[in-house]
Amino acid sequence: MILYLLTIVLLILIAPILLSYIKATKMVLFFKRPVPLLQGYRNFSKLFSKETIISEETSAITRYAPFLVLSPLLVTMFFLPPIVGGAYYVSFVDAFTITGLISLSTFFLMLLGLDSASAFGGMGSSRESFISALVEPAMILTIFSVSLMADNLGIGQAGVNLAEHFPKEHMASYLFAGISFFILLMAENGRIPVDNTETHLELTMVHEAMILDLTGVYLAIIETASSIKFVIFASLFASLFMPFGLDFIAPIAFVIFVLKLFFVATLVAVFEVNTAKLRIFKIPNLLGLAIVFAFLSLITFYVLGD
Amino acid sequence: MFIFDTLSLVFVALILLGSLPNLIYSTGYLPHIERKGYYQLHYFAFIASMLGVVVSANALVFLFFWEIMSLSSWKLILTEVEGKSTIKAARFYFLMTHFGFIFLLLFFLIVSDGNLQLGFNAMHLVASKFAYPGLLFFFLLLGLLSKAGAVPLHVWLPYAHPAAPSPASALMSGVMLKVALYGMLRFLFDILYPWPLEWGTTILIIGSLTSLIGILYAMGEHDIKALLANSSIENIGIILIAFAMGMIFDTLKLPYLSTFSFMAALFHIFNHMGFKSLLFMGAGSVLHQTHTKNIEKFGGLISSMPLTAFVFLFAAMSITALPPTNGFLSEWMIFQSMLDSSHIANDMALKISIPFAVFALAMTSGLAIATFVKAFGITFLGLHRSTNAKHATEVNFLMKAGMVLSALYIASLMLFAPFYLHFFDDVFVSLGRSSIYAKLFPDGILQIHSLGVHGGIVSPLILFGSLVLITGLMLLAYKVFDVKERFYHTWACGYRTAPHTQYTSTGFSGIMRRFFSWLYKPQEHIVKETLAGHETKFSDASYTVHVKPLFEVSLYENTKRVTNIISYWVYRLGHFEQTRYPAMIFNLLLFVLFSYRIFTDDVSLQMIILESAMMIISIKILIIGEKK
Repeated sequence: MILYLLTIVLLILIAPILLSYIKATKMVLFFKRPVPLLQGYRNFSKLFSKETIISEETSAITRYAPFLVLSPLLVTMFFLPPIVGGAYYVSFVDAFTITGLISLSTFFLMLLGLDSASAFGGMGSSRESFISALVEPAMILTIFSVSLMADNLGIGQAGVNLAEHFPKEHMASYLFAGISFFILLMAENGRIPVDNTETHLELTMVHEAMILDLTGVYLAIIETASSIKFVIFASLFASLFMPFGLDFIAPIAFVIFVLKLFFVATLVAVFEVNTAKLRIFKIPNLLGLAIVFAFLSLITFYVLGD
Repeated sequence: MFIFDTLSLVFVALILLGSLPNLIYSTGYLPHIERKGYYQLHYFAFIASMLGVVVSANALVFLFFWEIMSLSSWKLILTEVEGKSTIKAARFYFLMTHFGFIFLLLFFLIVSDGNLQLGFNAMHLVASKFAYPGLLFFFLLLGLLSKAGAVPLHVWLPYAHPAAPSPASALMSGVMLKVALYGMLRFLFDILYPWPLEWGTTILIIGSLTSLIGILYAMGEHDIKALLANSSIENIGIILIAFAMGMIFDTLKLPYLSTFSFMAALFHIFNHMGFKSLLFMGAGSVLHQTHTKNIEKFGGLISSMPLTAFVFLFAAMSITALPPTNGFLSEWMIFQSMLDSSHIANDMALKISIPFAVFALAMTSGLAIATFVKAFGITFLGLHRSTNAKHATEVNFLMKAGMVLSALYIASLMLFAPFYLHFFDDVFVSLGRSSIYAKLFPDGILQIHSLGVHGGIVSPLILFGSLVLITGLMLLAYKVFDVKERFYHTWACGYRTAPHTQYTSTGFSGIMRRFFSWLYKPQEHIVKETLAGHETKFSDASYTVHVKPLFEVSLYENTKRVTNIISYWVYRLGHFEQTRYPAMIFNLLLFVLFSYRIFTDDVSLQMIILESAMMIISIKILIIGEKK
């Protein structure tokens, strides 16, 4: 139980560092001077001490939505697979609940965009709704395939099962599911081929457009939510597609897991540096690729048999 | 004459639960209606006839109440006639509902063996002896699904349901569609059991298409009630998917999974009744205050109608299947039952094709989020888009009470899901299945288990509790830290924030409309007042877009055209060449006699060839005659 709570605290603490790390890696690759790894914390404390400006055009939604964007993601943190063998984990929550909680967070984010009565907010919500509608089927099919390989629908149990019996005989479908999940990781967290979190050019904004009108504490909450969303996806990727290192003693297992998270972050950074942002109407091609890979993964699993 | 088994009683409960809040709401809505007596007469007849349908025990009573139900709802559509569109919608509804009725009648004429007062159980014998059960199944599908609004018999629904006064639309979408599904449950279990695999897959395909097409048209809609009606089509599709999974599992001898899927379907029936009634009531309140159905004319209503906005948001969250709402629970059960298709042994083709239905359902739920963000966000958030919206106030007490009651019903479905599931379990026990309640809740009522091996588990109460706890703690922290707040206008690039700087509903669904343009085929009209001949500078511009459903264009209008051509020929025969009347009657008689043989005796190919040759010769000689 202590390990379980420790894991959650560790993941929450590491979340802002991971995003700063991606930014720093990208800057190194662009021959710029990188930002410090604690930049996320600095931003947070700065935003937290600023006064919060609330738009006169908004309603009660703006008051509550930031909290409702963050809280489903925090609840999800409790349901992730264990990172140390033998630690307590919530075995019963299945992947639909997790995708549902992430959708809940996105739902309130989209309402937040529409609440400020600005054209940017609506634009961002409209684009986000389009992307998340296409992410949903790929996500569920990928989860379906992974749960078949892990022989359990519960996400925590699936992580443990994969670590104990690595599905060697289903390497092809495992790989396809991995590719599909990585594309989803990029899409859901607004990384470059889909959205650019660092831009403030309105023509390309998705996530930033929705929160353009927030400042102070509310912005700090939303930024925290997006970093936690990234850490959820990164740790799911680490637990489901790199299922090793659980059987070491706790401190070493922790270090291995953190290294895995940084590996995923590096992968994202390298991928981002080497691709251009897609037009909004080209995004279905990328997500279609994820859907096709998820189907391929399922079909190879069935054809090759149990 | 009447039957009161568990299935009937559960549907009686459904209708009563749907009608009670509706009745209170309707009483509050009444001052808005001009023809009060007319409306109330048909309103109560409508509720009573629906109750009659679900408790009737033989074909005659069933068809009688079914017809009263159709006619009273048809009259309800005609309560407020605003121009030709209402009359057109009512006529379309009348036509489609009787199109379905004919097939139901044909179905009953065959299975009741001439005695329409035969009980449903006795019909099973007749049906099992009938040589073509597939034909019976298709009659049933056409008869019931044209009422339920499944693709491609759904086109009337977005016209008819919004045309009625809002309480009546809530009843029609929320309850009447479910009565058609009651028919599916009753007749498939009582009369047409056992089912071949093809029936299940047929319904699965229909359900997947229905859900996708319904939600796509809901997305493109800018009449709020038509949006909700299209979303009803989507939900019927979702229910049909669960229903089909139940049939497939039953055929493949997986009884527990089959019962689980049917329970998911029944749960979604109850859920959809709750939130769709509430959404229609919410839309009705908005309509009542703003006097328009056009979503572009709303905006900012959350400040003037807070309660309506809150219940609408609650229902929208439920219909988009966001945890921990009841809509999520039933959709979770449906996904679980589809994922259990991995237990199917030695039918690879079926196993590989079910993920396509999973894809359709997942895509539907993704698009539903977009649709209801649009419906709620454009209606209630932002600034007032018209003077009508500016003058809106909260509705009267009775209407509020109706909406709150409905919201409480939805909340009870979420909080007391095990209680409702217990009833649904009883239904299938009474239909001859073994109980799965103990398997659903092996460790207490907090966790709902899926029935597959190593299936998933969900616990609505824990989810709800943890979400409330964490959000509450954060709100408390916000209060404790005493954050400094300042109020100022929304930033609009240095310009003033005004209603017309907001995103519109058309703009919101613009991306979807462009991406799915092969389906929508939007008709766009742009009018621009350009300044000094510059292409890009204009003082005034208006952009309207209209989406005509593809099915209506391709299927219905073409059918209309062909029917017109045929009726022209019949007219010519009838009016100009009366000498050929006896010849036509003779040929018709011949046709009926020959067709009757096919149903009664074994048919051989030689006989069919011989008979058709005789028909062709007699038509050639007697009707067509020599060329002049």
